[in-house]
Amino acid sequence: MSLLAASVNVEALVIFAFVLGLTLGITYWASKKMTGADSFFAAGRSITAFQNGLAISGDYLSAASFLGIAGLIFIFGFDGFLYSVGFLVAFLTVMFLLAERMRNAGKYTIADVLSFRLKERPARTAAAAGTLTVAAFYLIAQMVGAGVLIQALVGFDFSVAVLLTGVFMLCYVIFGGMLATTWVQIIKACLLMVGIVIMSIFVLAKVGFSPVELFNRAERNTTAESTFSLGPGTFLSSPIDTVSLGVALVLGTAGLPHILIRFFTVPDGKAARGSVVVAMFIIGGFYILTTFIGFGARAFLGQEGVEAAGTGGNLAAPNLAQFLGGGEGTFGGDLFLAVIAAVAFATILAVVAGLVLSASGAVAHDIWTSIIRKGRPQNDKEEVRVARIAAAAIGAIAITIAIIGGEGLNVSFMVGLAFAVAASANFPALLLALTWRRFNTTGAVTGVAFGVISSIFLVIISPKVWPGADAEGGLLSFYDLANPGIISIPLGFFGCWLGTMLGSDEESERSFDELYVRSETGLGAEGSVLEATQVAGRNPAAV
Amino acid sequence: MNDPSRDPRNIDWKAAERSPEFRELIAARRRFVVPATIFFLSWYFGFILLAGYAKDFMASSVYEGLTVGYCLALTQFVMVAVLGLMYLKRAQNVYDPLAAKAAQVALDAGHDRGPRP
Repeated sequence: MSLLAASVNVEALVIFAFVLGLTLGITYWASKKMTGADSFFAAGRSITAFQNGLAISGDYLSAASFLGIAGLIFIFGFDGFLYSVGFLVAFLTVMFLLAERMRNAGKYTIADVLSFRLKERPARTAAAAGTLTVAAFYLIAQMVGAGVLIQALVGFDFSVAVLLTGVFMLCYVIFGGMLATTWVQIIKACLLMVGIVIMSIFVLAKVGFSPVELFNRAERNTTAESTFSLGPGTFLSSPIDTVSLGVALVLGTAGLPHILIRFFTVPDGKAARGSVVVAMFIIGGFYILTTFIGFGARAFLGQEGVEAAGTGGNLAAPNLAQFLGGGEGTFGGDLFLAVIAAVAFATILAVVAGLVLSASGAVAHDIWTSIIRKGRPQNDKEEVRVARIAAAAIGAIAITIAIIGGEGLNVSFMVGLAFAVAASANFPALLLALTWRRFNTTGAVTGVAFGVISSIFLVIISPKVWPGADAEGGLLSFYDLANPGIISIPLGFFGCWLGTMLGSDEESERSFDELYVRSETGLGAEGSVLEATQVAGRNPAAV
Repeated sequence: MNDPSRDPRNIDWKAAERSPEFRELIAARRRFVVPATIFFLSWYFGFILLAGYAKDFMASSVYEGLTVGYCLALTQFVMVAVLGLMYLKRAQNVYDPLAAKAAQVALDAGHDRGPRP
């Protein structure tokens, strides 16, 4: 454990303290601006398109993207890049099918959109269940990842590291709501981009700014036992599994609650659409640069660096930073390592805050206000209070599971599961609710149930989970997919269709026509000029 | 001045959905989004299928260490940027004015008819 050198701790701690101080300052500022449910859940819809683009990037690029993909490219080469491509192309799905419609038809949660013209209580329950399942798996995965990383990079004990992450995450959400969470995500996106650009420049400078030379060096730096390759097939050896992963990645993002609720923070559909394009450019640029980090780690750290990079190569990027700064024990090396470690920490904090906020919204706005209180009386203060309590409870549960499960919890399994559930349960139901006239409440409930159950079941029986990573073959000889998407996503759609056919066309308060016209035109959208004037009782045409 | 007929809650949504202005908006959006979605899914899954089933082709070199796979991956990034910007431009120039018109028609129709019971 060369990374536990005492000299590393000091620089890392100072930079960590700086980042944490900055985010706490923002939380304090945001808490002063907090006025009600609109500011707690949607930052008062005051975020600009550019800011939201940065915040989406900050919300989306988790430690799995930064350290995980760089590590995969370091160890396996090209296959790691396949993840980046899927994660990025997914934003076209979000943009073409959901971004503006979500903003136009929803208020705080994805359940608002799903239940818009369906029977309120069952539809909301289904959507809340989908949201909470995705958020839970993703959150626990991120917490475990945070513990492992901080332990390796700063020297804190795993449990202390998880606890620290959890406490800061809850501070942002409980005191600063969406406004603080948004700015933490914006700061994180800026830190991450600056960090990766500087690292890439250092890497490219060593090869005369020729990416081709970098690839050549990376390929030369392999030994007989290396899994590294500039071509595909080293990590994802089964073709059908590669395709299955590809489907889940490209559709899963469009079902991630913490990404979708970001569209409620901007003033209108135009800003929602603009923010996706901003996010596309930031995220796309980031993923191209991760290849320089991954190939750079291979070119300079070589096969000897594999063991030091830990499980999945997660520490490849920090180790590369240390090398680029001058190597272990030098001031430059330790400083660069500390900076990248702090960036990784900020990365995790921004993502977990977004996740907890989306989960607390599902509990307070969907389950409490609409299901338990049946929407009456509309009480903003109570909704925010319940959301804060829910955030604290969700955070406490996630911290506890992460600490009890410890480092042994399989992070990639839980992230994969989160994407599979998002793509198989949330995405089909949302898309059909917005576009299919006949779709009904039974369809929504059946679809979400099919999606959640099939994803979880298929992941449990996948060979990596049961009987376990080291075992030969799977539990069932005919089923050996690690990624369930190719089966569970069609099942999710099938569930929606089946339920719709079996259920009856119930009378609901609002019609598909209303949802359709509103989601496409933005008429009467939450917090829009029209809606505001309507509340104020004035004639919108006169504005 | 309170004019309840201008309240979005009093809009006749069925009529609004059938108005030629709304149909024009939907048709215009579909003309771009449907082919664009088919194109990006085909290009993406073509790439994924090649990565899964044509490993040697993807690993073959274009120029020294630069592989076919890496180049095709970069085309995905270009595709995202181009389609994203195309949609943004169309939305501003075509869909937004059509949406505003459709919304106005819906509000005016509500005005003509007065509040529904």
